[in-house]
Amino acid sequence: MTAVRARRFDGGTWLSEAPVDLWTLARWTGTAAVVLFFIFPMIFMLMVSFKTQPDIASGGFIPEEWFWQNYPDAWNSVAVGTYLRNSIVAAALGALVTLVIAVPATHAIVRYRVGGKFLPAFILATYVAPPIVALFPLFFLLRSIGLVNSLFGMALVYGVMNLPVAFWLLSSFVRRLPEELEDAARIDGAGYGSVLFRITIPLLMPGIISTGIICLILAYNEFLLASFLTRSESTQTLPVGLSLYQGDRQLRYGQMSVASLIGIVPVYLLAMFFQRWLIRGLTAGSSR
Amino acid sequence: MAELDTAPQRTREGPQAGGRWVGALTRDRRRLIGWAVVMPLIGGLIVFAVYPFIYLIFLSFSDSNLGTLFRGWVGAEHYTDSIGQAKFTSSLLRSIVFALMTTLASVILGVCVALLIDRAVKGRQILRTLILLPLMTPPITVAVMWQLLLMPKGGWLNSFLMDMALFSQPVSFLGSPTMAFPFVCLADVWQWTPFIALMTYAALQTLPEDIYEAAKLDGASGPAMFWSITLPMLAPALLAIAVLKLVIAFKVFDLVFVLTGGGPGQATTVSSFYIYRVAIQQFDIGAAAAQTLMFAVVVGLVTIPFTTAHDFAEKRLS
Repeated sequence: MTAVRARRFDGGTWLSEAPVDLWTLARWTGTAAVVLFFIFPMIFMLMVSFKTQPDIASGGFIPEEWFWQNYPDAWNSVAVGTYLRNSIVAAALGALVTLVIAVPATHAIVRYRVGGKFLPAFILATYVAPPIVALFPLFFLLRSIGLVNSLFGMALVYGVMNLPVAFWLLSSFVRRLPEELEDAARIDGAGYGSVLFRITIPLLMPGIISTGIICLILAYNEFLLASFLTRSESTQTLPVGLSLYQGDRQLRYGQMSVASLIGIVPVYLLAMFFQRWLIRGLTAGSSR
Repeated sequence: MAELDTAPQRTREGPQAGGRWVGALTRDRRRLIGWAVVMPLIGGLIVFAVYPFIYLIFLSFSDSNLGTLFRGWVGAEHYTDSIGQAKFTSSLLRSIVFALMTTLASVILGVCVALLIDRAVKGRQILRTLILLPLMTPPITVAVMWQLLLMPKGGWLNSFLMDMALFSQPVSFLGSPTMAFPFVCLADVWQWTPFIALMTYAALQTLPEDIYEAAKLDGASGPAMFWSITLPMLAPALLAIAVLKLVIAFKVFDLVFVLTGGGPGQATTVSSFYIYRVAIQQFDIGAAAAQTLMFAVVVGLVTIPFTTAHDFAEKRLS
């Protein structure tokens, strides 16, 4: 059944005379292999989360018996809940800071050519430097203003960190906005602020949502800066909390898997619900 | 808002009557407000990029540790010392190899996946969502996943290979000086290929359909069309994607931190990790600063040929 349907599709677009089913077969195996490759590590971690320590060492795929105790244990032994809250607060505030700064600025740079050709190039150039460059100077700066080991400080760092990414993503959305609408509003007497808030931002909403989600995820996933700039449980983010497992003499793989799974649930849910926006945002740059 | 009372008159009078200088006035105002609106962005970049660079330059010529900075000036000593250290130069080389290898592998694999999604008859939506997941996963968690797959005792890969009777003894993939580096690369490719696939897929959608129709009428085969139409037309987009991936690859830190801690020996110590260790374990901020700057220069030098190639490909196509 499937082979026949696949063939008709091929006939229309790609492999006109190909002896069918070698190609179709190859494609189906390829697709299956790709899906398996990308899904398998996640599934295996899920399996490990249901195994006892000896069961993990024995190395099967499916747990010998389903061991649920890792879940409460992980929740109680490390502050998974606190880490998760810290991550969400820092990432959400950070994304907000990024958007508040980047949306009006990107609009001005792209639409009114503020900063000419230099500014866009300069913004993107700052993204090239590895974050290790900013690590120590940022640490000393935050220390001098008392924002080391503070969620607010982390949110500011993330807000600023993602500015080049947000500019890059947003600029392709701004470029696609019809210029006539803004011009028309201006001729009708709307000032800078009302054009921005009544016309541009509502029209830009899909782009703003996409950009916001991507910045949120980038901040949520960040590790290097968080590991250096947060020092106590009350401010450490989930990636930092996860890295602490690595210090144990005997690695608690089951609990570490549980904590990791808890950490990815929010991003995966976000990815599922906002799939369209995410893909639109991620691909905005390559289809300009 | 203040323009509210002038502009309507302008339209009523028509563009000729004084319209020009009012337009010029508002344009100047607009530029002014534009700059004001851009200022926070510039301020942010100064804090996150410009100030660190200047600060690092000063640090790199000083004797500084994490406790006390600027204990004295040492001239270019940190630079000359670092260049003389095989551990540092080899970490630079390793970063370059890591960036180039993972970029090459994930671009090739990403193009294949993009073509598969493009040709998928059904389930395209599900396919796209599924491959989105590795990209969303925190790199720390990616590292944990691969740690579980690769560990010698109870790791899936070892049990699998032993079940297939390929190995009789479990192998510590991440503990082997030859295999650790490729496996760290593999974990990175796993995470970033979906990103490249999605970008490539989007670029594929922009290619004009009629060229393919014409080629098909001329009797071109599928592979021939790929090599002589799809790939050349995709080249600028692919090079842009490759530049992005290169830049991201030079930032790798989390994977190494969890998977190998830079080991065994120095086998997986990429520059960002090496510099981190110099600062954190040896507290030598001055040397770390010098090395950071040299690393940044290397990143630039490796990226430039790719951006040049991208500009060239774009010019040739238009």
